[in-house]
Amino acid sequence: MKKLLALILALAMILVASSFALAEDLPTITIMFHGSNVTDDTAVLEAVNAYIADKVGAKLEVIWGTWGDFDEKATNALLSGDAGVDMVFTCSWSADEYNTYAKNGYFVKLDDLIAEYGADLVAAIPESLMQAATIDGAEGMGVYAVNGFKDTATQNTWDVNVTLLNELGYTLDDFKAMSFYDFGELFAKAKEVKGDAFYPFLVEPMVLERMVTGSVIITGDSGSTNLLSLYLNQDDVSADGPEGNVLLNKFGTEEYRKFVDKMHEYYEAGYVDPSLAVAETSNDTRTNAQKTGEYLIGTQSYAYGYEYSPDVLGRGIEVAFVPCTEPYVDTTAAQGAMMAISTASEHPVESFKFLALLNSDPTLMTLMNYGVEGIHYTLDDNGLVVFDADARATYSPWTNGVGNVTILPDTADEGAGFREAFKAYYASAKAIPAAGFAFDNSEVANEMAALGTVAAQYALALDAGALDPETTLPDFLAALDAAGMQTYLDAANAQLSAFMAAK
Amino acid sequence: MQKAQRQHAGLNAFGPGAQALFHGVLGLFALLCILPFAFVIVISFTSEDSIRQIGYSFAPLSWSTQAYGYVFALGGALWRSYFNSFLITVVGTLLSVSICVLYSYPLYRKDFRYRGFFNFLSFFTMIFGGGLVPTFVVCKTLLGLSDNYAALIVPLLFSPFNVIVMRTFFQTTVPGELIEAATIDGAGEYRTLLQVVLPVVKPGIATIALLNALAFWNEWFLSLLYITKNMDVIPLQYLLMRMQRNADFLAKNAGMLGADAAKAARNLPSQSLKMALVVFIVVPIACAYPFFQRYVVAGLTVGSVKG
Repeated sequence: MKKLLALILALAMILVASSFALAEDLPTITIMFHGSNVTDDTAVLEAVNAYIADKVGAKLEVIWGTWGDFDEKATNALLSGDAGVDMVFTCSWSADEYNTYAKNGYFVKLDDLIAEYGADLVAAIPESLMQAATIDGAEGMGVYAVNGFKDTATQNTWDVNVTLLNELGYTLDDFKAMSFYDFGELFAKAKEVKGDAFYPFLVEPMVLERMVTGSVIITGDSGSTNLLSLYLNQDDVSADGPEGNVLLNKFGTEEYRKFVDKMHEYYEAGYVDPSLAVAETSNDTRTNAQKTGEYLIGTQSYAYGYEYSPDVLGRGIEVAFVPCTEPYVDTTAAQGAMMAISTASEHPVESFKFLALLNSDPTLMTLMNYGVEGIHYTLDDNGLVVFDADARATYSPWTNGVGNVTILPDTADEGAGFREAFKAYYASAKAIPAAGFAFDNSEVANEMAALGTVAAQYALALDAGALDPETTLPDFLAALDAAGMQTYLDAANAQLSAFMAAK
Repeated sequence: MQKAQRQHAGLNAFGPGAQALFHGVLGLFALLCILPFAFVIVISFTSEDSIRQIGYSFAPLSWSTQAYGYVFALGGALWRSYFNSFLITVVGTLLSVSICVLYSYPLYRKDFRYRGFFNFLSFFTMIFGGGLVPTFVVCKTLLGLSDNYAALIVPLLFSPFNVIVMRTFFQTTVPGELIEAATIDGAGEYRTLLQVVLPVVKPGIATIALLNALAFWNEWFLSLLYITKNMDVIPLQYLLMRMQRNADFLAKNAGMLGADAAKAARNLPSQSLKMALVVFIVVPIACAYPFFQRYVVAGLTVGSVKG
């Protein structure tokens, strides 16, 4: 009798325990973002988890990677097979570079999951983005990450201080008719009016180089200092460039020589702040001068609607962005922000369901990106988002890193209809002939490291005009040759021709 | 007596000219050591406008306490991480010094049979490391060191270098006869270590403690690796490094990120704020120095064999 009682009690206990367990049974999925500035996500995660419990069947946890720590955190999690990270940000420029990590088997191939659960996702993002994410990974051709729909085309622009331009007696149309090689007279005049301590030309030297010579970034090229140039057709970006689809030593071309010669002239004339030529101070100097409007012409790699953002509106001057080319789709931009599922994840299905929902469901995307209505933002009379500055300061994910930004509501700063226009702008962007090409540098990794070191020594200072090309460029080119530039170029060109042939 | 002392001192003394020269040189050297820190303090009180216009300078165009205003406005997060820095340093130093002494003492004892093996075990790790990812796997997956204080303390607990320093210190200051005498007087192993040996090696312990305290105080990389969700446990150093690394990253990738980088750069703290945080970080450890110094200096002058 006692035995029976004990047995019944034990059974009862198991039942009770298992019913508790059932209630708690939702698996936890963890996502790691890049570039976040989030110190309090309690309210957001509460709302998100209530919203996704039925739709996804999981509970979400977030690792808010910041600009500075993401690379280490993401690569460690992936390389160590950490099951605690299910979804991770990846792209063409992060340390967990999409093409390489997909090839080495760290990302789940999503094609089957897309076929089964991804109808909404496929409908929500353009075909071209799916195509850009389709690569030859560990398990053959397929999609290894959900591609975020953001500013998916590259467009470099001149950032013009129109207020000062007018003060100097020029109009914006005058400026538009000028090229980089004609800026001298503008700068001279600006120096005259604003005094000797004023630097009219505010540039990101490396971006400027691409703008003037008309070259694009090659995905997989040495990250900090690009070595390869592929020249655009600046009249029609979808047509072949002047040199065809051939990769060149960026620093060995005539265009480059012409550019650095002119830049050195500008530098010597005192048009460029010397601290722009130093890697440690370049960005700070530029940001500071932009903040205060202390420049005449700058460079800006542009995203549609940037002129309506607080950082441009807050400069206290009239700013215009004058494009160098029409926007073009290249691999760098088309793989600019993606979300992959780690092969170490124990819940790939739930993870994919979450990513699909995040990229297609405006409610969830708005929650994740803008926070909770009534806490982080309110809607004004026109239904536009107005942020609560204090709450937003504790919860600012990197908007473009979260996913499909085209399903976000318009903010009061951007104005009604902004997202629609944004979508249309990028939907109409043309792809360059080599779009989709990513250089697999694994066979020349040693050369790339050596070349990167050499380039870091010269490139920025040359591009900023601080070094005299007459004396330093030959040394630089000789050092590059000694470090294996030709081997590097040959490997890259062999891959590009194979890619173009297959296309 | 006084006269004799003076004469004695006089024998080894330099002339007034040489004295002045040495004082001058050493004074200059001391000044050079203090100067960078003084510069940091000056910058932390410099107004942003001045930094923007003339860069860092000992004579800024205008002064401002704005940076400290920002620091205090960080509020809870700041004090929490400041507290964490202290907690990690104190607990970490106590534990690591205990471990170091308890490991190196047997290595010094000639009658310990497995000396060679344990010596090798510790020395080996100085030459060969597991590498970042395997270490990460062991710490995070195997030992569960993630998002907790233990993750910031345990990986640094054992330092083979310190063990060698401490062992050598035992060897040079504690004569074998001392242990024998203690044993003959009936002291057990624990009593011998705690009451006989430890008082003799105080200077050595102080040196190790200082090295450990510095290591724990300056540590930020462990937070970067192991703290992913629970930001309540991060030390002040990581708070500062995070700002620095964010700025570095944006500077490096500005071309790639375009407008996003410009937007993000706007949220970055000012130069003077960073320097104000440096002041917060440096002051406590600078204050701790004189206390340790007493022992460290004593360690240099006190030998077991006195002439």
